[in-house]
Order: sequence, then structure tokens, then C-alpha cells
Amino acid sequence: MNRILSFAIRQQWSGILAGVIVGGIALSFATPQFLSEFNWFVMLRSICVSLLVAFSQMVMLGVGQMNLSVGALGGLVAIIVGGLMDAWGMPPLPAILIAIAAGGAAGFINGWLTVRTGINGFIVTLATASAFAGINTGITRAIPFYNLPPEFVAFGNGRLGPFPYLLIIPLIVTVLLAVFFSRVKTGRYMLAVGGNAHAAQLSGISVPRAIITAHVISGLTAAAAGVLAVAQLGSAQPSIGAEWLVISFAAPIIGGASLAGGSISILGTVIAVMLIGLIQNAMVLLAVDPYWVTFLLGALILTAVWINRYRAYRMGED
Amino acid sequence: MTSTDQVSSTHRPGTPAGLLTRGSTQFGLFVILFIMWVVFSSLAPGFLSRFNLNSVGRSVAIDIVVGFAQMVVLATGGMNLSVGAIGVCSVMTLGYLLQMLGLPIPVAILLTLGLGGVLGWLNGFAITRTGVNSFIVTLATASLFTGAMLIFSKGVPLNGLPPELGAFAKSAVGRVPSLAIVALGIGVALYVLFKHSVLGRQILAAGANPRAAEMSGVPVDRVIVFVHVLSGVLAAAAAIMLTAKNGAALPGGAGDDWLLPSFLAPVIGGTSLAGGLISVVGTIFGALLVSTIRSGLLVLQIGNFWLQLFLGIFLLCAILLERYRSALSVRAQTRAA
Amino acid sequence: MVMLLDKITKSFPGVRALNNASISLAAGEIHALMGENGAGKSTLIKIITGIHRQDSGSMTLDGEEISLTSPREAIRLGITAVHQERNLIPRFSIAENILLEQLPTKNGLVDFGRANTEAREHLAKIGLDVDPAIEVRHLSVAQMQMVEIAKALSHKAKVLLLDEPTASLTSAETETLFKLVRQLKAEGTAIVFVSHKLEEVLSLCDRVTVLRDGETTLEGADMAGMTRQTLIEAMIGRAERIVAHRDPRPSQGDAKLEVRRLSTAAGHKDISFKLGRGEILGLYGLVGAGRTELARAMLGKDRITGGEVIIDGKPARIRSVEDAVKRHRIGYVSEDRKHEGVILDHPIRSNIAITVWSRIARALGFLTARDETAVAMPLSRQLEIRTPSLEQLVGNLSGGNQQKVSLSKWLAANADILIIDEPTVGIDIKAKAYFHELINDLADKGMSILLISSDMPEMVTLADRILVMHEFAIVSEYANDRRYENASRAIMSAIHAGREHSRAAAH
Repeated sequence: MNRILSFAIRQQWSGILAGVIVGGIALSFATPQFLSEFNWFVMLRSICVSLLVAFSQMVMLGVGQMNLSVGALGGLVAIIVGGLMDAWGMPPLPAILIAIAAGGAAGFINGWLTVRTGINGFIVTLATASAFAGINTGITRAIPFYNLPPEFVAFGNGRLGPFPYLLIIPLIVTVLLAVFFSRVKTGRYMLAVGGNAHAAQLSGISVPRAIITAHVISGLTAAAAGVLAVAQLGSAQPSIGAEWLVISFAAPIIGGASLAGGSISILGTVIAVMLIGLIQNAMVLLAVDPYWVTFLLGALILTAVWINRYRAYRMGED
Repeated sequence: MTSTDQVSSTHRPGTPAGLLTRGSTQFGLFVILFIMWVVFSSLAPGFLSRFNLNSVGRSVAIDIVVGFAQMVVLATGGMNLSVGAIGVCSVMTLGYLLQMLGLPIPVAILLTLGLGGVLGWLNGFAITRTGVNSFIVTLATASLFTGAMLIFSKGVPLNGLPPELGAFAKSAVGRVPSLAIVALGIGVALYVLFKHSVLGRQILAAGANPRAAEMSGVPVDRVIVFVHVLSGVLAAAAAIMLTAKNGAALPGGAGDDWLLPSFLAPVIGGTSLAGGLISVVGTIFGALLVSTIRSGLLVLQIGNFWLQLFLGIFLLCAILLERYRSALSVRAQTRAA
Repeated sequence: MVMLLDKITKSFPGVRALNNASISLAAGEIHALMGENGAGKSTLIKIITGIHRQDSGSMTLDGEEISLTSPREAIRLGITAVHQERNLIPRFSIAENILLEQLPTKNGLVDFGRANTEAREHLAKIGLDVDPAIEVRHLSVAQMQMVEIAKALSHKAKVLLLDEPTASLTSAETETLFKLVRQLKAEGTAIVFVSHKLEEVLSLCDRVTVLRDGETTLEGADMAGMTRQTLIEAMIGRAERIVAHRDPRPSQGDAKLEVRRLSTAAGHKDISFKLGRGEILGLYGLVGAGRTELARAMLGKDRITGGEVIIDGKPARIRSVEDAVKRHRIGYVSEDRKHEGVILDHPIRSNIAITVWSRIARALGFLTARDETAVAMPLSRQLEIRTPSLEQLVGNLSGGNQQKVSLSKWLAANADILIIDEPTVGIDIKAKAYFHELINDLADKGMSILLISSDMPEMVTLADRILVMHEFAIVSEYANDRRYENASRAIMSAIHAGREHSRAAAH
């Protein structure tokens, strides 16, 4: 037991885990509704989407890059899946597969452009974000797709006690990513590139391939988030993805990822998403101005980053 | 100091290819701009109408100042993702000061500019004190500022502003809208700052090579705080112009809308993301280019959809072209060795 | 002949790094590659290891002409290298770094257990006793270098290139390395040993190739017929001459700068020395001795945690670089010219005037290019900076001229304490001699100079006194009689004593 405790304390996410636990306890005293099954269901469902969004950016941070088109890409995929089911009457499964594939393709475009043109990934994804958003507007003309197959919507609403059926997807993704980055060669290569791209290259690792792979995975996870968002809302809204950018960075970074690259924490990201979800839930339950969430999110990021730097400084890692 | 507001290359090749590599980014932009105007006005005669030119002139004035707000931070190799958030805060603050407190316009404007400066100072302070990347800090403060603004304003637009403000925005000196003159005036001031002042040189040195600058006695941290303050003031200025143009303080006005244009204008215009290299003229041309495209597409009655897509693609192409150009000149220099 | 590089030429913007250079490597042989910094060694190394492509000239491996497009291909063909700078992934374990691109797998997943076992074998071969599961960022610089050597050895290469491998090693570690290298030689590997340490090269290597100004001055010469002198002559183009350039400087009254029991955040404890007016005080030591860190503390870049700095008899609080430069008139010519000494993308006039912008500005901080030029022009003439115009970007100048710019800005600032850190690294012979004259000149005119250098001949030529540093402490002081043999022996034995002392202390 002692070993587990001392291990936990040394981790970077121990602080936010404590925050989640303390916050959860405080909230359950403040309002009895918090512990209700339905409330947990709602909270967990929104965490499903946030977690995939966070992973989408976390993968990029792992390889030392960033993807500013996470929201626009996810939003576009949401529209595609909704449009395929509504306008073209496609059954859910093929529609989802096509939409996710589109997300992967979009990620590939991001990666290919970054690598081939040598332009900073920041600019490339800023530009593609605009492009994806533009296509989104073009397809929907700001009108959501409402006519979705009932079994799709039912799955999005379905639950086992407090656990939404949707939770399965982020759980699977979490496990896959955890294995990928700790035990699969390609994942290790990506972290190597993020940690020291020059050294990785000298060892024969293909830096361009790592970057493109990261972008594809990022696109796929953002796409999954888009599909889940549609399932959660019951309709494909063109506004899906509009608020994703901040969360996509906030969660991995609060969870301990380094902007410099090569250092990410899946567990930390998960806990950070839980923390953010908890805060959002608290706002709703306590009938606090939802605008406070935006404010607190910013404050949270700053605090977390500052703590990380301070901790690194103290341990002499700077 | 390096401003590309002058011919960039120092060698003199005599070939036509040399002309291409030798010409500065700004000259190339000017040519593209000219071509676009010719194309658009021939496709749609309404393009050159007084009405259209006026409305382009007004919105481009705001885009130019937004571009400036980002440009000054890019000069130090950092970035300011809270430009839009500061803008929104400034819009609502101005509205509040004018409508709720009934302050005279000049006072309200000064206070709003001050707010922009304070918010910018917070950014600079956080960045230099914690040593955290400006990307993350300003991403966080963007949320912080926007949230705070929404909490105070409750998202309610303020429509009861003094008419003099809107009148100023509609006014013009000859054929040139007043707002455009303001933007150009700011441009001139920035040009002088960067080209002819100690502070400007310190900023560019800190951006080009912060280590070398610091080792030469440049107070790099102070300089970074300064550019963020300046960025905040410029964002506030753009917000004031926007409010004047709209005739009302709208919380949905600036914000995320400003993110892409704030980068687009300087980067197309030759400002380097890495720092140490800016172009005031280029930023103006960059903003003009974006506005021209936007207005041209509007006049041709091609929807908003094409615009965003096109802008994104255009940004990439513009940068590609610039890299190709500089790669050509590097190759020429290598051959000469 | 395992590998042959014939008439290799390579140019970069503004400079021709290699001009018809050639080198031939035989199996089972240790081949030294020597040359001053800036002679083209690192470019040649990068071409051999696939990082750069040559502009012209051929590369042959085992009789077949090859064209390397990437480091990966070089590794694939059996060419491995341990480079000068550290190339490790900080958050990966030792094992993972060693086996990075050849990790063992089980069922498609990385088998860390086997990786650790294999890594332990590689580490044992080079005598490094550490847990292979430790993250590399926790190791010392020397240990990291050993890990890199283990990594290169894990490839069973045909050609192994070692670039300054003993830079951070103790004499015991160096011996282990040499034993290893000789064993590889016996196994038939072609080894390229790049080093500027003449003694090591003379004792270890079979043949030698020397580069100077991008050309091969000595190609594959038998080491048996070489001496210190012949090697030096091949490298610098003339015989090494230590000239007692001038009479020892008379001490001029009180010390200009005195440091008393100084300790710094970097790790210095109890450093004390005096620097007189017009005196050149040398600071000699190996890599990692703490000299540059000391300079940075005195410049205000690193924190001073204890002790005093006294300038002109008055205690000086140095809180920032701006403080040191503007208030105390301390200047620092950095060893890292490109990243700290000059701003490559800016013109010469700005680079020179940077230290005095505030001083030459008119009202409201207004300042023009002409104001800068007014300051820069006389200095650029005085230092004979070769350039068509002061608008030229410093990045386009040669190394020597860049260094002149780096120095000029301190002259512009009227610095009277100047810390010069490795002034002639990467600079051609003529410029080097020029700098030595210049430094002497400045001292004659009354400037107090702290000279940091790893170049023994340079140190003996210039310094009035030499302080020897080892592991962040001053271990001895030597009054320079300008006789090379004496000085060199005294200094090296002081360092040796320092090493033995710290090794004893560690047990």
C-alpha cells in the first residue's frame, strides 16, 4: 500500500486527482443532486466527448506538434455523419465508418502539408481549421441535421445505471492509446521524435512519418469525438467543435504533458478531463453562471502549468 | 534591426530570376493585390462602387489594427491568442462606460485603451514570471478574459451608444474613411517605433536571438512585457473601431473571429513566426488582401462558405510562395560561395 | 579499403566548407581525423553519416559507389557514429535509447524485459554500471556519452566514427574506451577517431588525415612517422610558435576586479581571485570545469549565492545582465558566437551598436541607422572587418569577422572588464593571430581581461597569470613564464591532481 501511495504522490497528476476527489466530496455535500444516477450519466457523457478531444491534441503534443483544427475537423465529421444519415438515409454503421475515415483523411492532409511544405504546423492547422469550418458551413448552411436513425439516437441516450453506453468508446480508445504509447514501436518512435527529433532522426527514425501518423491519429480521435457529440446531442449541429480548441490543450497540459514534446500522460489527461467535467457539472448544479466555466478553465490552465514549472524547477530538471 | 520594409537581399543578381528573389515580399504582395483588384472589378463592376470601397475601407481598417496587435508580439517570437478576448472585453467595457456611466467619449476611449494595456500586461507578466510559453499563457488568458467579460456583461449587447461614435466611423476625409486614417496613423507610429527607436530595436533583437540580446544588455523580459501591453492596447483600439463601426457594443463581435485574421495579415505580409522580423507595410497589405478577397467574393455573390475555405488555402499558398522565394535566394548565395 | 571518400566538395550559403577533401578508411584500423574547428571536420563527418549530401565527389563502400540520403541509410549500410553533441531522448530509459530503432518485441509489443537485459550486456562491455531502466535525463554528461558509445557499438558496424569521444571522460574511462576501440579494430571494424587531443591520437591511432580550411593537407599518413609538431603544422600551416609577445605587464596598483569566496547557483563554492587593470588572467580547464558558468555568474546571467564581487574597490551587486553591462561595464565575448555572440539575421551596424543604443539615442529614444553606423564604422575599420557594407547581415560573414563584430560591441560600450570565452574557436589562422594581437593590445591600453580558453598554446601566449579550474573550483594558479613546456606541464598536473582528489573524495 505504501509503495502505491508513494508512487502516486510522485506522479504529476496526483494534485489534480486530489482536486477531483476533494471536489467530488465537497459537491456531494453542497447539493444532493450530484450523486444522483442521472446526473452522473450526464456528466460522464460529456466527459466522453471531452476525453476524445483531449486525446486528439495529446497525441500531437507527444510528437512535439500541435493541431489547431481539432474542433473544425471534429465538427466537419459530425456534419458528415449527420448528413449521411439524414440527407442520404444511410444506416448508422457505414455512415460512422465513412465519417471516421474522412477524419483520418483530414488528419493525413494536415500531416502531409506540414511535412511536405515545411510550414510550421501551427499555421498549417490554423489554415486547415478555416478550410474545414468553411466546408462545414457550406454543407449545412447553418441548418443542423435532425433526422437521425432512432437506433443511433437511442444508443446515444442509452445507459447502464449511471454509465452511458457511449462510454465504451473512450474507454477502448484510452486502453489502445495507453498500449500504443508504452509498448508499440510506432508509438515509442513518436515520443522519441517529440523528445528529441534530431536524435530520433540520427537513429534512423523517420520524423516525417511520425508526424503524419500523429496527425492521422489526431484526426481519427477528433472524428470519433464528433460522432459521439452527434449521438450525445441527438442531432448534427454545425456548432459542434467550436469550443474544443481550449479543452484540447487544457486537459493534456493540466494532466502533465509538456508543450515541448515527448512527454504526455494518458492517466493525467483522463483525470484532467474528469476535473474539467466535474467543474462544468458543478456550475450547472449550483446554478452558477455558465460563463464562470470559461473563466475557471483559463485559471486552471495557468495554475496547472505554473505548478508543473515550479515542480520541475524544484527537482532541478529545468 | 530587420524590417523587410526595404529590399531584403544584399546581393545583386542580374538575371530575371534574380529580380524575383530580390524583390521584397511587400512588392510581391502589392502586385498580387493589384491583379486581384483588376480581376474583381472586371468581373463585377460593383466592386469599385463607392459603397463597396467604403465598407471595405472600414472593415480593413479594423483588420489592419488586429494584425498589428499580433504583429508586435510575433516580433519577439511569441504569440498572443487572447487578442480576440481582449477585443471583446474592450468592446463591452467601452459600451458600459459610454452607455451606463455616460462618460464623455474621449475619456471612455482612454480608459478602454488602458484596460487593453492592463490585460496585455497580465499576459506579459504571466509569461515572463513563470517562464511558460506564450501560446499556453495566452490560450488560458483568452478563456479567462472572455469568461470574465461574459460574467460581467451577461452577454447583453449595448445599443444605446452616443451617436457621435457611429458618425465618426461613417465619416471620411475625401474618399478615405476616417477609420482607415486611424489605422494608417497607427501604422506610421509602429513603423517609426520599429525602425527608429531604441525600444523597437530591442524588441527585434529579443525576437531574433533572445540569448544574444540578453547577453548584450537588452532587458528581454521587460521588452516582452512591453509588447504584450502594446498588443493589448492595439486590440482595444481595434475593438473601439469595431464598436464605432457597428454603432453598438456587441459581445459576439470580436473574439474567435479575430484569431485567424490576426495571424493572416502579418504572416502573409512577411512577419516571421520565429521572431525578429516584422513588416508594418506587409501587415497592411496582408489585411488588404484578405479584405479584398472577402469583399470580392461577396460582390460576386459567392457565399461565406467559399471564403473560409479559400482563405485557408490561400494562407498556405502565400507562405509556400515565400519559402520558395527565399529558398531560391539561399541557393543563389550558396552557388556564389 | 572499406570506405573511400574522394574529392568531396560541399558548400553552404557564404562558405565553402569542403574543397576536394578525401579520406580512405581501411578495415581493422583506427584512423584519426584532425583539424582545427572550422577546418571542415564536422561537415565531413556529417557527409559520412548521411546527414548531408556532398555537392561533388564520390563515396565508395566495399568497392561500390554509394549515395547516402539519410542517417538511416548510413546505419543500414553499417556506418555508425557517436557525435559530439548528445543525441539521446531525455525521457526514455537507457535501454530504450541504446536499442531505439532495434527494440526487441514479443507478440508485436515492445519487450522491455529483454531490452533491459540486452542493454545490460552492452553497458557491461563499456564498463558502465547503471540500471538500464533509468531515464537518461538523470545521468551525468559523461554517463550519457558512455550510453551513446554503447548505442553505436550495438550495431556491429563496418565503420564506427567517434567525434571527440573523450571530451567528458576521466582518464580511467578513457582507458576503458581505448581498450574497447582496440578490440573493435581487432575484429575488423574501420574506426574514425576525431579528436584535437594530440597525445591521444598519437598513442591510439594507426593513420591520420588532417583537414585545413576545407582541404586535405595530410591524407592517410602513417602515424608512426608523426610527431606533435608535424601534426600541428599540418593543422595550422605553420610550426607552433610560442612567442613571449611582450614583457610581463607591470601590475598597476589596486585590482580592478576582485572576487571573494564566491558561490553560485551553478555550483561554484568559495571562488576567489583578483584581476588587475590591464592584466590578462587566464582561466584554463577541461570541459565541465565551470569556467563559462563562472563568467555567466559575473555577467549577471546566473545567480550568485554567496561571496562578494568588488569592482574598483567597491562592492558590486550584479542582479542582471543589464546591470553588469550598463552599470559595471563588464563585457562578455561568448564562446557560442552564433547563438549568444551575435544576431545572425541583423546587420553589422545593429550588432555593434546594440550595447549602446540607449546612449546614442536622441530625444524620446529616437534612433536611426545612421546613428548606429556612426558608432559602428570606426570600430569596424579599427578591427578590419571585411565587408562591403555595414548593412550586411552578420550571418553572411566569415567566422573570424563574426567574432570581430561580437567583440566590437564591447568596445563600443567602453567595457573595461572583458570576459573572453574561447575567442578563436572555428576561426582561420590569420584571424586567430589577429585576435591574439588585438587582445594584447586591449590589455596594453588598460582593459582588464579574463580569458577562458581550452587552447593551451593560446593561453600560454596571452595570459599573464593562469588559473586552473576543475569541477567548479580553482585548483591552482600559475604565473605564466610563457614557456610552453613548463606551463603545459604545470597546468595538466594540476588538473590531474584535481581529478584524483575528487575521485578519492567520491569513494
